[in-house]
Amino acid sequence: MSSENRFVLGMLMPAALFLGLLVAYPICLLIYNSLFAVKTIAPDVREWVGLANYVNALTSPRIAESAARTIKYSVFALAFEFLFGFCAALLFNAIADKSRLHRTVFALPLMVPPIVAGLLWRFLLIGNIGILNYGLVAIGLIRDPGDIQWLSDQDLVIYSVAFADIWLTTSFVALVSYAGLTNIPKDLIEAARIDGANALRRFWHVTLPMMRPVIAVVVIVRGVDAAKTFDLIWIQTQGGPAHSSEVFSMNIYQRMVRYGDLGSASASATLFLFVMILLAALAYWKIWRSAHD
Amino acid sequence: MTDVNQRDIGKAMINAAALVLVLSYALPYVYLLMTSLKPAADVQQIPPHFFPESISFENFREVLVNSTLPHAFANSLIVAVLTTILSLILALPAAYVATQYRRKLTVVFLLFALVTRMVPAVSLGVPLFQLLKSLGLLDTVPGLVLAHTSTAVPLALLLLAAFFEGIPRDLEEAARMDGCTRFQAFRKIILPVMKSGIAITALFSFIASWNEFLYALLLTSENSKTAPIVIAEYNSVFGLAWGPMTAAAVVYSLPVIAITLALQKQIIGGLTFGAVKG
Repeated sequence: MSSENRFVLGMLMPAALFLGLLVAYPICLLIYNSLFAVKTIAPDVREWVGLANYVNALTSPRIAESAARTIKYSVFALAFEFLFGFCAALLFNAIADKSRLHRTVFALPLMVPPIVAGLLWRFLLIGNIGILNYGLVAIGLIRDPGDIQWLSDQDLVIYSVAFADIWLTTSFVALVSYAGLTNIPKDLIEAARIDGANALRRFWHVTLPMMRPVIAVVVIVRGVDAAKTFDLIWIQTQGGPAHSSEVFSMNIYQRMVRYGDLGSASASATLFLFVMILLAALAYWKIWRSAHD
Repeated sequence: MTDVNQRDIGKAMINAAALVLVLSYALPYVYLLMTSLKPAADVQQIPPHFFPESISFENFREVLVNSTLPHAFANSLIVAVLTTILSLILALPAAYVATQYRRKLTVVFLLFALVTRMVPAVSLGVPLFQLLKSLGLLDTVPGLVLAHTSTAVPLALLLLAAFFEGIPRDLEEAARMDGCTRFQAFRKIILPVMKSGIAITALFSFIASWNEFLYALLLTSENSKTAPIVIAEYNSVFGLAWGPMTAAAVVYSLPVIAITLALQKQIIGGLTFGAVKG
């Protein structure tokens, strides 16, 4: 081996070994566990069941419901983060230099711990003392603070818990989009203006196509994150009432910790892992690559 | 003339819209601050008031003196610092050769790091629990550091790789002309140039660990509980102890917010970087 190759290998080795031991090996362990009937408290006592855990995962209604909820939650959160974040970025771009203070405030939630955001929104939404409903009464949208039960209405709760997510990450979308907007060459928009394109057409035919890579990044990063969400919802409802805000990651956690069913939790976790990687790869190919052609 | 007026009105409307947006965005956190400063008895008054009628530090005293929270903060700090150091030690050399000595092996390695970032924490948490248990590291600080580092290393690798891309290849060659070995060139010439990139990466690793919840929930129980876990317990154990909980949330999040505001330019740059690369 050349000295150069030895150097490369030597520099790479510590990180590679570490990731091997703490990422690759656990993933193998996860897949291995998923093929057994095995309890969390006694992982040494196990019985081979083949793909039974997977069959179970794919046919259990509670798991399917939690998967559907994860999709609802992610789509809802992503749509509003995108809408608000992009609009905010356009506004900041429109007022250009004067947007400094605005952007500073928007940077505020960027690093706020998710459980703080979750607690905060639970406090804003919770029955009796949640101030949001009093605000809605004050502006005449509802008549009584008890009219909307954000966190205890089983049909509503999966969307209510997404408010915290939207609040927390709209700033990420806004600031990344703003950076993208300022990178669009001014002459390009000016040229379109001279050609007689109105503001809407300029936005649709110049700004939006130029923003494609940024949009791709936001959709991939935020989409994957939203689908993985655990802490934010856990702190607000612990999945309740009656599992109606239990997303997929929480369902796996519950089966592993509360029901101690390591085998079946591992099967779902394996499926989750591959679906996430597949989705990210797909989004990458579809949006990112075509933007670079 | 009317044209100018219309433009002015349009400008004013955009300014107003931006202001309303920003104010309503900040409102929830301001309310959290206000609530934490209320006397505990006023926190749950019906109907709620936005501003405290009298200011009291009762809630802060409760969480900082009478609870296990200070111990949990110490744990959080130790875990985050160790995670930062360990992930930098592992990621710096690897990111360096991955960008400056590009070959099949390094490309595969970076790709693996990228894929790792998509792995849901719960999927890794399940087997990590078993692994740490067999190593006797469950509910210990080193155990949690290992778990946090497993997510911090891929993040650090991708951030650092982006920074290393900007370093010219000649730098190492010049150093080697002067008689440095490859490793000496890396340590004495390249690393000092990378200072700001390393600082940002360190910050991101620190905050990732400071904010982390699920691994801490799964892998700690008594001794090495971190702050978010103890705060979450206020949520369930004490039922509706909103006063202390808001104070704890403020104490826990203020340092991070202060850092974010102080370094927002670098942080936003890092986020965009990380986002584009990851």
